[in-house]
Amino acid sequence: MSLPRANYDPRRVCLNPFPEFTFGKRRRAIGVYLAGALFTLANWTFLDAAILSAHAKSPWGDQPDAPPPVHVTFVDWIPGICSLLGYLVINLIDKDRIRGDEGLGDSRAVWRARLILFIGFALMAGGLAGSVTVLVLKYVLNGYPEQFVYYGYANVSQSVAMMLSAVVLWISQSTSSEYEYNLTL
Amino acid sequence: MPAGLRTVILLSFVLALGFLLIILSCALWQNWLPLLVALTFVLAPLPNALFSHCGADEFAADYGDSGALDVGRFITSMIVVTGFALPTVLAHANVIDPKACVMSVAGGGLVYGTILAYAAAFSQEDSDYD
Repeated sequence: MSLPRANYDPRRVCLNPFPEFTFGKRRRAIGVYLAGALFTLANWTFLDAAILSAHAKSPWGDQPDAPPPVHVTFVDWIPGICSLLGYLVINLIDKDRIRGDEGLGDSRAVWRARLILFIGFALMAGGLAGSVTVLVLKYVLNGYPEQFVYYGYANVSQSVAMMLSAVVLWISQSTSSEYEYNLTL
Repeated sequence: MPAGLRTVILLSFVLALGFLLIILSCALWQNWLPLLVALTFVLAPLPNALFSHCGADEFAADYGDSGALDVGRFITSMIVVTGFALPTVLAHANVIDPKACVMSVAGGGLVYGTILAYAAAFSQEDSDYD
């Protein structure tokens, strides 16, 4: 008895066709470089806001003696830390374990790997949601000037870029062999 | 060998120009923080060079690249982006002058481009396999 082909395998719940890029054998290298660049860009965006806040001196704008109304505190660091932990969790998982059809280990290992992957994605999504929360609750609702709302925008873009970096790294590593062009999950 | 000699002379000229730009960006404003950019771009090819020997056995060649190569590429990309982002952030926070930022980024790009061009021009041992 022969198994059906993977294109219409009915046991696959969710099979996303992934467009085939024509970078040739450098595809994986380009994806990893891009992921690293996005990851670093994300963290530098937030560090820029933190450094800017640390250098915001007492005469800001045209007020002579007013101190800056808001600074980057530890609350702003929490979404980035969540995203970073989620990034590490997602990328430390072996991709073949999640697919579960390679004959690696038992089904309980696949189940646990999927649970931990879910925790990683939940951490990243929680980081994104937390950064939006910080932007709205700490900066937008209090009506600070544009110069200080930038801290919140930097926080959101940090989470978004880290998520994009995780996606790019996942895609570039799961299309390594030339027989597997599908992003399977 | 005149083509290789000309390449070496051109690359060393560009490398000297890059270091000149970085050092000028520090010395003109008496602020030596942009010198970190030179250090960053000199360190940038190091992870690739270190990790490139990890996946180079005959068994790994069939299955594509290994995870160690990816780690090297990831860290290299991180360091390169840091080299561009660090002077930008410093200029944004008014620690260094914006002109110094532009000069140090241009100089760092020249230095790193020199390293890349040198590695691409004189890599005979890899060209047989790829």
